Amino acid sequence: MTVAPRPSHYLDRPSSSGLVDVIDLILDKGLVIDIYVRVSLVGIELLTIDARIVVASVDTYLRFAEAVNRLDLRDDKSEGLPELMDDMQEGGARHKTRGALEGAKDTVSGVVDRVRGHGDDDSDDDEEEEEQPQERPKRRRSAAARKERAE
Amino acid sequence: MTDTDSPAPDGSACYVYGVVPAEAHAPRGVEGVGDPPSPVALVRHRQVAAVVSEIDLGRPLGTPGDLLAHSRVLDSLAAHRTAVLPFRFGALVRDRESVTAELLAPQQERFLAGLGDLAGHAQFSVRGSYRQDRVLRAIVDERPDIARLRDQVAALPEDAARLQRIQLGELVSQELTTLGAQDAELLMRTLAPLAARASSADATADRPVNASFLVPHSGWQEFERAAEELAADWDGWLELRLLGPLAPYDFASQVVDVQEGGPPWD
Repeated sequence: MTVAPRPSHYLDRPSSSGLVDVIDLILDKGLVIDIYVRVSLVGIELLTIDARIVVASVDTYLRFAEAVNRLDLRDDKSEGLPELMDDMQEGGARHKTRGALEGAKDTVSGVVDRVRGHGDDDSDDDEEEEEQPQERPKRRRSAAARKERAE
Repeated sequence: MTDTDSPAPDGSACYVYGVVPAEAHAPRGVEGVGDPPSPVALVRHRQVAAVVSEIDLGRPLGTPGDLLAHSRVLDSLAAHRTAVLPFRFGALVRDRESVTAELLAPQQERFLAGLGDLAGHAQFSVRGSYRQDRVLRAIVDERPDIARLRDQVAALPEDAARLQRIQLGELVSQELTTLGAQDAELLMRTLAPLAARASSADATADRPVNASFLVPHSGWQEFERAAEELAADWDGWLELRLLGPLAPYDFASQVVDVQEGGPPWD
């Protein structure tokens, strides 16, 4: 057994929560005051509703299929999920059904963009967007291609 | 999308973060919701107090900055060992007078009882994510059917293999969920005994471990050490992330509902 005291070496211990964690922690959590009592609640437009859409979908399955497909079984270097998440985030807010928390960050900023009248730049995508979401992010494709060449 | 209720969205209102005991101090040096943020203050009524800040109604609420500010205010209270009943994001009351007269005064007893239950505790949340390649490799090794399907998919052009791709992904996703449920169970067996309350979300393919614990102040170090040991055991397989001390987001409603004679926490 190790004698020396070990700091949090294996445990990811962020000193403050990032946005993805915060969305996960607080959305839909906590007391809702208007169910307890009639209060002079003030109406205001809330932007965060879309962030909690979590839908299992074909898109999700295709993502895992791609992950298992590009796996190089002889390669013992392990890619961490953070990298995969970066890859997926390049898909941006248009994958509404992608589900999963890592999408929420995109969704929140996407909603903000839409409210401000930006972010409506999806029209230059190819028509088969819904059919072939796995082809979208360019870096993912080139990363897969690099791996194939390496084989 | 829009929470329509009362007046025209101009002027200002009182953003309510949560409720604390009246003897608590307002969080210092923590910026609240809004741009620019107003100081966070307490509105006291007898033995309880609402944590509030003024907010300008001229813009919609819910930017990433707003969400972060909401949790920052509440978590700083928890970190200073103040019992706090967090409210759901976006609670806005017209003014301070309404906070006292309509929120605190009628609910004093209920809030006080809830705060009593939470006193001396804070929430810690544990998130786990798999080292994707390592786990996928193990799945392919242990499931010949998945390995076969993977080979088939690899041999076909992308368009032709669409159905097989979906089937492959579904099988992988199911297997990840099964593994996640096992790992989450081990985590709960290890950490729940160190907490006054615990709750765990069902494992999903993306998020095998997602659990929250209400931990007594005296047990924070032990809890963290136990989480560290688990993380060391799972090194290279499952990455653990420990968040806290946090406001008891996952336990506040249960505590207050129980006071009402509602369904007990399970």
